[in-house]
Amino acid sequence: MAADVTENTLPPTNEDTVGPYFPIYFEDPELMDISRVHHGLVVKPEGTPMILRGRVLDRHGDLANGALLEFWQANAKGIYDTPDTANHPDLDPWFHWYGRIRTASGAFEFKSIKPGATAGRAPCVTLTIFSDGISRIVTQLFFDDEPANASDPLLGALPADEQAKLIARHDGRTRDGYEVYVIDVIMAGEGETPFFDDFAS
Amino acid sequence: MDVDKQGRLLEIGPTDNTSDQRTPRQRLRLIPEAARASFVPFAPAPAISRQHEADMTRIAPGRPRAQGQPIEVTGTLRSETGRPVVGAMLEIWNANTFGRYTHSEDHSGLPLDSNFLGLGRVVTDEAGRYSFWTISPGAYLARPDIGRWRPKHIHVSVTGGSSRLITQMYFPGEENNVSDPMAILMGDAFERNIGQPYETPDSDVELGYRFDIVVGGRNATFFE
Repeated sequence: MAADVTENTLPPTNEDTVGPYFPIYFEDPELMDISRVHHGLVVKPEGTPMILRGRVLDRHGDLANGALLEFWQANAKGIYDTPDTANHPDLDPWFHWYGRIRTASGAFEFKSIKPGATAGRAPCVTLTIFSDGISRIVTQLFFDDEPANASDPLLGALPADEQAKLIARHDGRTRDGYEVYVIDVIMAGEGETPFFDDFAS
Repeated sequence: MDVDKQGRLLEIGPTDNTSDQRTPRQRLRLIPEAARASFVPFAPAPAISRQHEADMTRIAPGRPRAQGQPIEVTGTLRSETGRPVVGAMLEIWNANTFGRYTHSEDHSGLPLDSNFLGLGRVVTDEAGRYSFWTISPGAYLARPDIGRWRPKHIHVSVTGGSSRLITQMYFPGEENNVSDPMAILMGDAFERNIGQPYETPDSDVELGYRFDIVVGGRNATFFE
């Protein structure tokens, strides 16, 4: 990190824990289900609806209650919506690419569109976890039915047993057409999920 | 990439049981450059701020003032290179003057104040500035078993552009600052998270605190 610091760089404010009391009042149902635009509209994003279902677990295998989870992903054609892609023809105007769930229990069910593959990458969802006891940890979750996993540079940077911890398992389809993927995210200890350093990288 | 470079090893907050249960024990992994862009979330501010949410000293305009000391908190939100972050959403929450949150999972039994909600949202202006009023929060006993207090603090969550930061503003000269697990982890850098007091003769509050926020790392620098 030290090598990146110049005299023009301001010292960053310390990240701090979200604590146990992130206001449930700030929940936004539209950020908890980005598979649709709004329940009152028939227009909707392109692609395969999916449910990413999982549990966030602590060092003792207990659910990490009160965690704040954020999801960031590309659309069904693999395009991330950023200022750099503002005029991209494959942007989906009906897809809002950022989700947030405050989970009371530690279990979550995130409704979205299955992301497409971005150039050079396997389809994935970036997961940020804020919770009491920690500040912020980040990882990416993949899908077990994607051949592109074999050549993904992030997965490829991990040993095989570690890769498996980031790959969600396909678990059927709901009656209303959502493909279900399941994964456990283990914050600490036995079976710990690999997390990534977006400051040092 | 520097071959000796390693990701950070996160530290466990002393006397913090939850930190012990939830802090990853493995070093964070470095992100290969080919995957780096996908770790820079770009998210618009998630919700619409209502004008009155900038005044947390009342639950709604025209209602009575909450108990305790009304304060103003102002500051500028910037990236590490000094660029103001415009149009970002700050979600703010803090305990009432007795140290109690209105959150349904706060079972401390401390007194509620029917005139205090403790929640607000404000958006940074064209110069990255923000401002809100609240009640100076009470400290509360977080670990009765060992007598460890949480010092007075205000939670701030920043979303907007590619900025994503959750932090807390602390107060100068508080005796419990030194024993706070998160403050201990911050070390000398804890100073950055302390609001700097100023007089507010022209405002209907008792004291102001300046809290400039700098979002660190490459995640704040989408446009640079």
